[in-house]
Amino acid sequence: MTDLRIYEHPILEFNRGKEITIFLDDKPMKAFKSETVAAALYANGLKEFSRSIKYRRPRGFFCAIGRCSACMMEVDGVPNVRTCVTMCKDGMRIKKQKYPADYLSPFLNLMKLPPARYMRLMTRPGFIYNPAMKVMRELTGLGTFKKELPEYKSSNMGCEGTLETEFLIIGGGPAGMQAAIEAGKRGVEIIIVDDKDRLGGQLVKQTHTFFSDVKYAAGKRGFKLGEQMIAQLSQLPNVKVLTETSAVGYYPNENIMLMKRPGNATLKVRAHKYLVSTGAYEKTLVFENNDLPGVYGAGGVQTLLNVFGIKPGNRGILLGTGNVALMVAYHLIQAGIEVAGVYAPSFRRVRGYFVHAAKIQRHGVPIITRHTIVKALGRKEVTGAIMTKLNPDYTHVKGSEFRVDCDFICIGVGLNPAYDLVQLFNPKMVNVSALGGMVPIRDKTFRFTKNAYIAGDCGSIEEATTAMLEGGLAGLYATATLNKGDESVEAKIDEYTHALEEDRGSPFSTRLKAAIKEITVENIEEVLD
Amino acid sequence: MSNEELNAMQRGFHRKDELEDLNVFPSRDKLMEKRVALIECVEEIPCNPCGVVCRVNAIDKENLCTLGKIDWDKCTGCTMCVAVCPGLSIFLQSMKNGKGYVTMPYELLPAPKVGMRVRLRDRSGKFVGEGRIVNPTYQARGDAYPRWVVTVEMDDPELSYEVRAIQVLEE
Repeated sequence: MTDLRIYEHPILEFNRGKEITIFLDDKPMKAFKSETVAAALYANGLKEFSRSIKYRRPRGFFCAIGRCSACMMEVDGVPNVRTCVTMCKDGMRIKKQKYPADYLSPFLNLMKLPPARYMRLMTRPGFIYNPAMKVMRELTGLGTFKKELPEYKSSNMGCEGTLETEFLIIGGGPAGMQAAIEAGKRGVEIIIVDDKDRLGGQLVKQTHTFFSDVKYAAGKRGFKLGEQMIAQLSQLPNVKVLTETSAVGYYPNENIMLMKRPGNATLKVRAHKYLVSTGAYEKTLVFENNDLPGVYGAGGVQTLLNVFGIKPGNRGILLGTGNVALMVAYHLIQAGIEVAGVYAPSFRRVRGYFVHAAKIQRHGVPIITRHTIVKALGRKEVTGAIMTKLNPDYTHVKGSEFRVDCDFICIGVGLNPAYDLVQLFNPKMVNVSALGGMVPIRDKTFRFTKNAYIAGDCGSIEEATTAMLEGGLAGLYATATLNKGDESVEAKIDEYTHALEEDRGSPFSTRLKAAIKEITVENIEEVLD
Repeated sequence: MSNEELNAMQRGFHRKDELEDLNVFPSRDKLMEKRVALIECVEEIPCNPCGVVCRVNAIDKENLCTLGKIDWDKCTGCTMCVAVCPGLSIFLQSMKNGKGYVTMPYELLPAPKVGMRVRLRDRSGKFVGEGRIVNPTYQARGDAYPRWVVTVEMDDPELSYEVRAIQVLEE
């Protein structure tokens, strides 16, 4: 039986916990307590988790963090469970969701119905709606409960009540944690929420050492930095941490943030100040077959490699030469996985830091610029890729296509700020390409509305250190407006502001600095009126 | 596609002659005399561990983003900067008794041991020869920069200008 787990790693030690057994379609499989169901299945060589609704195309592990719905399976009798955020339990029974539509789909596809037709099909007259819906659900694979529902406790389903706090931090990455540390140290009552099972955001996946100033993060490995910050937070009794909790709504008039807790219970939080540090989403690329299992985002590969210690495949290619792609290539080299090449359309230069590019190339991984992907090959999973050379105007050079054999393709072409929660606060949003996408106008104290602050990648796509500094600053400004803290607040604000300026002093940040200056205003309340 | 027509920034690595133009290497006499550090960091990025860690103040960093300049008269070849550089772009080089020596950071498996035979790679990843590990040390200061720093010996001293990575051969 295949086992894709990594047992020896030059940097990491994987504490997987107790070995347990799970069952896929009654076949026993080795799993560990600390693994999610999807990770355990992947480690056992399963690449196809589900099928798409209309065209029955194979779907596999993609985002690994509960954002996409490619990994939905039937777990212990409950259909449509996102296996990538469900932890393994001994004796768990997992089933691939099979539908009659698997056999019908070739005929349905021939009819070429637009999605709107599907929606309206068999909804009128009214009395046929319910029975027709049952049939349609059966056909499309949205799942029907075939067995008795497992019993839910009523407390799990209902509202857990309302919490009051001074400072609510949404997102426990470097920015959110630093804000909690700075404000928490000065006696502000804080709730920090994160939708993962632990704090740390993307820091938990970073095994490389960071740049920047030695005073903050330089020279430390990202995951160690995360552990240190979590330890610091646990020393503060006034900081309450809610993990596995998603912030899903904001009601400005009632000043309430709505949370979803495990088991679908809701929780209301009313706070005086809010900090949104939700980070970013990965961008993707458009090419033929980019939905095949085996095409991953850089974050998904990092999760597999550095959180669960599982090889994404044996031989891969990377798309993009930004810092994220270059770092993932280095993580793959460290895990002993062959990287066939890092391909990118860049013409002027390798987009990431030069030292990152040099470090992967000296280990034999070529960076091939002025190329792009045409299509991924394979029927059920990736077996290769067709690449092409580019003309300076980004059109394909005719006849230059060639095949690269690989069993996974990793896309690392940049990030978009995760602005969906920011928007609920009714800020003034602008689209700034230098900052990664839609970002709110903010003032010098990082406020984007009267009582909401922003920090980290969701305000501008940068790196972990600047996110930490921004978070620290936002935390300090919030402390000051809450009339907490002492004279040390101002000194610390000066220190962080100076450090942030220095960090953005490199030629890499020229565009970014100008863009931030442009969207920073004196008084945020005037802009909003 | 050949990379010949690309410059270093488009390629993502340097050739020896390009680094010579950037004054990365000390004089040959200096390399014969003692082991010294070379900073192959050519880009202004916000980073300063090398300047902070140097005990003899041989590395001059004006501020966070300026490039580190090294004073080879002061440098003692202590390997601290090699271990600390987050970009893995500082190396030590020397030539002695007709042999070349390069000290480099190493973050791969298997763990290096004295006497292990290694294949030598140049900056582009090409194999250029074989060598031996003479001095592997594991440097760590608490959680900060834990990594192996490995010195390899090669028979051709000229190779020490090229070799920047190794692959350990199975014993």
